[in-house]
This record gives sequence, C-alpha cells and structure tokens, in this order.
Amino acid sequence: MELIRTVGLRKSFGPVQALRGVDAVIGKGEVVAVIGPSGSGKSTFLRCLNLLEVPTGGSIAFDGEIVRADPRGAHAGGALADGPAADAWRRRMGMVFQHFNLFPHMTVLGNLCLAPVKLGRLTPEAARDQAMRLLARVGLEDKAASYPAQLSGGQKQRIAIVRALAMGPEVMLFDEPTSALDPEMVGEVLDVMRDLAAEGMTMVIVTHEMRFARQAASRVLFMDQGLVAEEGSPEELFGAPRGARTREFLAKVL
Amino acid sequence: MDFSFMAKYWLFYLVGAKNTLLLAFLAVLAGSLLGFLVALARLSRAPAARLAATAYVEVLRGTPLLVQLFIVYYGLQAVGVRFPDFPLADRLLGIGFSDFMAGALTLALNSAAYVAEIFRAGIQAVDRGQSEASRSLGLGRGMTMRYVVFPQALRNILPALGNEFVVVIKESSIVSTIGVAELMYKADTVRGNTFRPFEPLLVAAACYFLMTFPLSKLLARIERRMRSGTH
Repeated sequence: MELIRTVGLRKSFGPVQALRGVDAVIGKGEVVAVIGPSGSGKSTFLRCLNLLEVPTGGSIAFDGEIVRADPRGAHAGGALADGPAADAWRRRMGMVFQHFNLFPHMTVLGNLCLAPVKLGRLTPEAARDQAMRLLARVGLEDKAASYPAQLSGGQKQRIAIVRALAMGPEVMLFDEPTSALDPEMVGEVLDVMRDLAAEGMTMVIVTHEMRFARQAASRVLFMDQGLVAEEGSPEELFGAPRGARTREFLAKVL
Repeated sequence: MDFSFMAKYWLFYLVGAKNTLLLAFLAVLAGSLLGFLVALARLSRAPAARLAATAYVEVLRGTPLLVQLFIVYYGLQAVGVRFPDFPLADRLLGIGFSDFMAGALTLALNSAAYVAEIFRAGIQAVDRGQSEASRSLGLGRGMTMRYVVFPQALRNILPALGNEFVVVIKESSIVSTIGVAELMYKADTVRGNTFRPFEPLLVAAACYFLMTFPLSKLLARIERRMRSGTH
C-alpha cells in the first residue's frame, strides 16, 4: 500500500535547483534507502517530505492528504511550512538528523516527553512510562536522567531515534543518521534501525552506508543532480546498475 | 580637597543612590518586557511587525537619550498627557512622582531598544537544528520558541541583560536634567549648597562605581557558573 507519493517535486533555493522533478513512491512498511553523491538533493528530498522545506514545484501525497508546492518557497529563506496542518503532518513523520539535535537543556527523559505531553497526546505519567519503555528498547534506561552533553554520539543518536518514535509516527525519515558518528558507534545506531525495520516501520533513509543500504533496504533510490536517476531492489541497483552515473558513483564508494 | 561637607550631606547621597537604583530597576524591568516584545516582533513573519520593530530599534538607538528624555518630559505635557502625582509616592521617593515616571519611562523606552537587540541576537544564536528538531516532532512555532529555543537563548541573553542594567544605572544620571532627585541631581545640590565645585562630584562618581562594580562582579560570577554547567 502506498503511503507517500511525490509527483514532479521541485525545490529551488534562489537560483539553485536542488530538486528538479522527483517522482517517488514510498510504500507502507518499505525501507527505502536514498543514496547519491553529495549535492544530489537527497537531504532536500527528505526535508521536503516532512515540510521542513517548502517545495517550489510538484506535490506530495501522504496517506491521501496532498500538499502542493508554494512557488514563493524559493524566496522565503529557509522557512519551513507553518500552520496547524503542517504541524499535524509532521507529527505523523518522525525525523532523525545527522547532528542528533537533542535539546541540550533537557534531560533525556525531558527530550522524550516534551512533544507527547505538550501536544496533549499523553499525560506526563504515561509519557514517562512510554519513554522508559523506549529507552529500554535501545538499552539506555540508565541514561534517563542524563543530559545530552553527557552522552556519546551513538547514544545521542539512539535517543534521537526514540524521541521521534515517542510521537508514534507512521514513517521515519533518517537524514544521514551515522555520518556524524565515530566509526565504532555506527553499528549501535544501525542495529536500532534494523530492529525498527524488522518491526515493519516505514523508513526513508538518506545514507552513505552502502553496506547497510544493501542489507536493510527493500528498495534503493539513486539520486543525481536533483533527480531520481535509478531505482530498484538492492540486488538490482548494487549488483547490476544500469545507469552510467550509478556505476560511476558505486565504483567510487564501494 | 575637603570632604568635610559629607558630615552634613551624606544622607543626600544615600537618598540619591536609592532613587537611582529604583529608576534603573524600573527601567530595566519595563525595558526588558518591552524589549522582549520588540524582539519577537523583529523575528515575526509579519512584515509590518518586523518593520515597526526595526524602526523602533533604529530610531531609539540613533537619537540621543537626552533628546528622548526632553521629548517625553515636555512632549507628553504638550499633548496633554501627564503622569498623576501621588502624594504618598512623592513622599516615599522624596521627589515628584510624575517627573520620576517621565524619567523612568524614557530610560525604559531607550533600554528596550537595546534589550530587543540582546534578545534577538540571543534567540538567533540558537542552532537552527534545535527548532527543526522541535518542528519535526510536530510542535508549533509558539511551543518551539517557548520550550526549545527561548530557554537556550536565555543563556546567551542573561549576561548581556545584566550588563544593560549596569549601563542604565550610569545613564540614569541624565534624568537629573528634568529635576528628578537621583544621585547626580543630589550631587549638584550639594555643590550648590557648599560652593565646592569638585568634591561632591567625586563622591557621586564613587557612589556610581560602588553600585556598578559589585554588580558587574556578580554578573561575571553568574556567567562563569552558567558556562561551567552541564547544560
């Protein structure tokens, strides 16, 4: 079943065209890895999906709801989509950032409880219980009272993942979740993501971890110059890439 | 040098210092509240609010405090606005309440422009990833500001805000020109009474320094404590 569909998605930052008409479908329960050279529009694509960037062309459908582009988005310097509809849309999509973006002035527990409590989804007690369950799931119950500054990068990113899960999202977006990590911490974060995929969570993952994309993704999108240049199963894309650009890219990173 | 006049006039300085502190406190309090609103307006998405707030900051920072004081003091009277005189307040302050209010209001309006810039800079210094993370969780603009951005901005803001308090203490001396009996005005009175042009001013300078120096020391300590905190 289709969960997200973009049609002719475009995004310009002033004269720079980051996305030049992306058509993509994300099915429910799919794990879609988005790969490609830097500057190919992968992150912009992801950020458009949850309206952190306002598309300047095309449309996004999410579970039947449709957001159309706002051509003025190009001028509003880095402004995200605002208003209750956009907030409700984002509530249903979890996002994990390259630099974690945990709230440094709150404890881990505070980070996990803020959105569910303030948005009236859970009582403070229920949010706390849920947070402890989520922390147990990533093996970090003992960090509930810690502040982000006291955690390692890998721990921070695992917390960031469960913080997003605390809102009960229908899809999880990962923007290079392991790129800012020391190599020895990449594994623990990928493990959490693998578990999540195994549970049937719909995931869109912008990543440079080709091995992970190959093993964990159900489908791979190769983006180049603001377009989806090639897509297919990991076996197809990594095993027998059709496009010259795809082959060139894979030769460099593998 | 002869400071023997102090035996007779020390109370002048005490009352003057009290009124100076009161003026500065009121000005910073009201100025911070107004400055916060101006900062929000400057960061707002409504172009009209942004324009008005920017104009406010630029005009208030670009004109002399003395001119602003006279405009408030004489200008308000000219258009028929006058602060009421409360006999009780007059007696407590030892000065006319309406004049005092004109002085406090001017200092507050002026300080608000500087405070607004302090708030704006403090808010904008918070990493954009913070508000993006908050928005990605579905929190709206207001909640993101309130729970995520502003608490972090406060760490950048508080030291500068304390510094503004020191500045206002010093600048409040200007309201002596409209007859508000704060420290500078009292020192002038002592000069007139004793026919000594110099020493009473030295005492006033010492009084100002005694107020500002411990305050800046205290602020430096608070700042250090905040920096060394785990969050």
